[in-house]
Amino acid sequence: MNWLKRRVRPEQIRELSLLVLIVAAIAIFGSFIDGYYSFRTFNRIASSVAIITVVAVGQTLVVLTRNIDLSVGSIVGFTAYFVGTLIANHNGINPLLAVVIATALGAALGVVNGLIVAWGRVPAVVVTLGTLAIYRGVLVDLSGAKTVTTDSLPEWLTGLPLVNLTPIGNLDIRPLFVLALVIVVIFQFGTTYLSFARRFYAIGSNPEAAQLVGLPTKGIVFLAFVICGALAGLGGFMFLVRFGNITVEAGRGLELSVVAAVVVGGVNIFGGSGTVSGAMLGAVMIGTLEQSLFRLGISEFWLDAVLGLLILLAVGSDAVILQRLRALWGGAELKLVTKKAGSVSGEQSAPRP
Amino acid sequence: MRKLLMGAAALALLAALPQRALADDAMATPGKAVSMVLLPKFLGILPFDQAHNGAEEAAKELKNPTPLQFLGPTPQNSVAGQIEIVTNATTQGVKAIMISNNSGDQIVPAAKAAQAKGIKVVTWDSPIPSSEGEDVFVAQVDFSDIGKVMADMTLSITGPGGGKFAVLSASPDAANQNAWIAAMKTALKDPKYAKLNLVDTVYGNDESEKSYTQAQALVDKYPDLKVIMAPTSVGIVAAAKALQDEKLCDKVKISGLGLPSEMLAYTKNGCAPEFALWSFVDLGYLTYYTAYLLATDAMKAEEGAKFKAGRMGEFTITKDPTRAKGLRVLMGPFTVYNKDNVEAAAK
Amino acid sequence: MSALDRLKGWEIMMLALLCAIVALNSIWSPYFLSVGNIVNLFQLSIEKSIVALTMALVIIGGEIDLSVASVMGLAACVMAWTFHEGAPMPLAILLALAAGVLAGLNNAFWIARVGLPSLAVTLAGLIGYRGVARIFLEDRAIGGFPDWFNTLGQQALIGPLTAAILIFFLLFILFAIILHGSAFGRLVYVVGSNVQAARYSGVRVGLVKSALFVGSAFVAALAGILYAARLGSVRGDMAEGFELDVITAVLLGGVSIFGGKGNLVGVGLSLLVILNLRNGMGLADITGNTQNNVIGGLLILSVLIPNMWQDLRDKWKGRET
Repeated sequence: MNWLKRRVRPEQIRELSLLVLIVAAIAIFGSFIDGYYSFRTFNRIASSVAIITVVAVGQTLVVLTRNIDLSVGSIVGFTAYFVGTLIANHNGINPLLAVVIATALGAALGVVNGLIVAWGRVPAVVVTLGTLAIYRGVLVDLSGAKTVTTDSLPEWLTGLPLVNLTPIGNLDIRPLFVLALVIVVIFQFGTTYLSFARRFYAIGSNPEAAQLVGLPTKGIVFLAFVICGALAGLGGFMFLVRFGNITVEAGRGLELSVVAAVVVGGVNIFGGSGTVSGAMLGAVMIGTLEQSLFRLGISEFWLDAVLGLLILLAVGSDAVILQRLRALWGGAELKLVTKKAGSVSGEQSAPRP
Repeated sequence: MRKLLMGAAALALLAALPQRALADDAMATPGKAVSMVLLPKFLGILPFDQAHNGAEEAAKELKNPTPLQFLGPTPQNSVAGQIEIVTNATTQGVKAIMISNNSGDQIVPAAKAAQAKGIKVVTWDSPIPSSEGEDVFVAQVDFSDIGKVMADMTLSITGPGGGKFAVLSASPDAANQNAWIAAMKTALKDPKYAKLNLVDTVYGNDESEKSYTQAQALVDKYPDLKVIMAPTSVGIVAAAKALQDEKLCDKVKISGLGLPSEMLAYTKNGCAPEFALWSFVDLGYLTYYTAYLLATDAMKAEEGAKFKAGRMGEFTITKDPTRAKGLRVLMGPFTVYNKDNVEAAAK
Repeated sequence: MSALDRLKGWEIMMLALLCAIVALNSIWSPYFLSVGNIVNLFQLSIEKSIVALTMALVIIGGEIDLSVASVMGLAACVMAWTFHEGAPMPLAILLALAAGVLAGLNNAFWIARVGLPSLAVTLAGLIGYRGVARIFLEDRAIGGFPDWFNTLGQQALIGPLTAAILIFFLLFILFAIILHGSAFGRLVYVVGSNVQAARYSGVRVGLVKSALFVGSAFVAALAGILYAARLGSVRGDMAEGFELDVITAVLLGGVSIFGGKGNLVGVGLSLLVILNLRNGMGLADITGNTQNNVIGGLLILSVLIPNMWQDLRDKWKGRET
């Protein structure tokens, strides 16, 4: 047990507690809804959170550095619309090229955010509130209010959500879900094991110290926004695949869901702690709630009220669990130090990401 | 000789009478400078662009030297935006405001203020429910008829065996959709539809994403659902895609009101065997004519007034039977699209 | 450049901007300077302006309240529903205000007592309170309020000014006094700049924050009622999305998102700038979409340009020494 407490930190356990909460929620829903434990439910939740998850990964990086990106909804809409129009006009375009274009376009929009935040020294909230409006506005102005319609899109695009990657019986693993999972895995490993990635955490926990130590704070923050934009662009492509029909209003309000996922997922809004997998779990939690409440037979009009309450409870119980865990850890550390007095050094009792 | 002279005098007298007295219809006098505003629910979707095109066509025919102002709010800010535009138009002293009302009765104070300044307020596509502040409503079709058509299409898709169906609407506050759904519920009382069972009404808020997930939620909750009826051009497309993605197009069909150009693929592959719509271009055209006639005082907004609207022919202002108060101009028939006529219409 | 200088600089910048906008508007449209239009200018966004006042205090106190628009909608729906069920209008209004206070207490509990971040709590509130509003009204619209209520909301009360405009000015003066002239105001600044230091100094941080959130929700409820009076009818989606505009106005007013900095004069000026800008653009028939572009750009530039100017000045100073 002590070994465990030395190796693992409370924040990592937090993800487990969120996972427990999700399992509990599924168990409760399952007991009320017939046929809940089916692959279809899994598929339903997986597909609906795939896009939010990908964008939430990018948002997590930004939030880790003590910033926020409210323009992701507009970036998703922008890229979905433009890549959709591009593909509609050039049906023969290489699918991978389309994905690259979407990601690059998102990254370009992220560059603008990053430049103004990092070098313009404008608070991220201000910048991204502004670009939320501007990116959407430019989209509406340039689009001429046309809609991208599914019959203008090639078969590979409209058929993509239908592709079943696993031939195992009824299990339906769809490409969008796999993509989201791959992104989460890549970034989770990246942020955990790449020493370069530790800089995101460092800047978020103590920007002044990071600067004194000589970290290129501006560059890192800039990079966070570019990656966030790129992932939002990728999310835009996924959006196009999933919905096909893209209006200029696509993605409106998405930033709310993404921030909710990040917050519920335990990423500290003041920066410095939290993980990408936590954000994914946050998205899954909210997605599960959203998808399942309706099936409970709760009136359409009660749904949002219940959802708000449940999000509050999720964040609240999460925080309470974390407090308990920290107390547990703190107590253990103290015992450890007094036991091996003199021979133990460098054991810190304050949680660190 | 005398008789001949009398006859000639009578003829001369007849010829001297103004044309008006012979024809009942009010005719538009082209060339008058009338500042008018066309105000859709919001900017950015095709139906309203089509209405704009129709209105511009009418403007050209009527040779109105003052260009038509096509102003609209963002979907996000539709209600407050419409109120703002009506208020500003009142300040600018335009002659007529043509509004597809998305703000229910909340637009009444602003509309009344406009009328107080002598501005003609003509609603189209979606009226002011209480009809206060409104001179006349140009209705694309009879709202109770829409209810009947929706019920008919559902029955035609399910077949005589009937079955469960659900409605996917726009916003819970959309006056026209609510009126159509209410009309459909009334129509369903007819024993002809006894086997149809309306299980639920959900709202997609005219957002593709929400409509998509709502359609999925419906098929999850009601496994033996036969039809999803979506009287909204955004909702019907999203729901069709959802069914297609779920590979459910054999079991569950989609119907409702949609644009042929957007529904083409789904009608051809059987997801949406039938749906209906009217011409938004014609609606814009007729609305412009109506507003122009009222603004140039060529006619008054009262029951029984008849007028000619260019290429669309003759119309009469009547009482609106679907609302407690209010006048309307009924545009005309709508078209039911299926795989036979959808391709031609989509061009 | 001391904080005070910078703040003064901000107000001067806003004032200059305001003058420029008013001048441009008068040139662009002959209707701009009429009394009726100036009243409209305020009226069309008066509820947002009222909520911006308390939002400023909340943000200066180091927190944020995303749920204000939903509380507006909730209060309006509670009022409409109870009125529809037969309650006399004054009682309905009281119940609406009570609903706002309850929402504020709920926010305060989770933020001040449990210690959750305000972003999370008020985000849940944004979703939840709107949901509760929907429970009351479902898909109906309720109108038919008594004439005195509608008149109060729509017609002028004193001179050309409506009740809502008067309330705005009264609240502005009230909150200016509270923020800049009272002990509580000083506490708000202290809690906003350094909450740990405030705690160690014995400041009852929890109480201060609770007061901020209850006040914010109460004023939002009041704004919701005024909005219902102005529109004459209530729907479940009333005031949806207003929070973004409110926060934009506060940030444009020089209030720092990190807390502890900013004043009400700046917020007042920024409200004037935004209202005049939107009105002028509206009269010039510029669409809401383009208006959003301009305001978004203004928001960014309002911080970016002074920063770059500051950088330039530092560079020159460096050269001189």
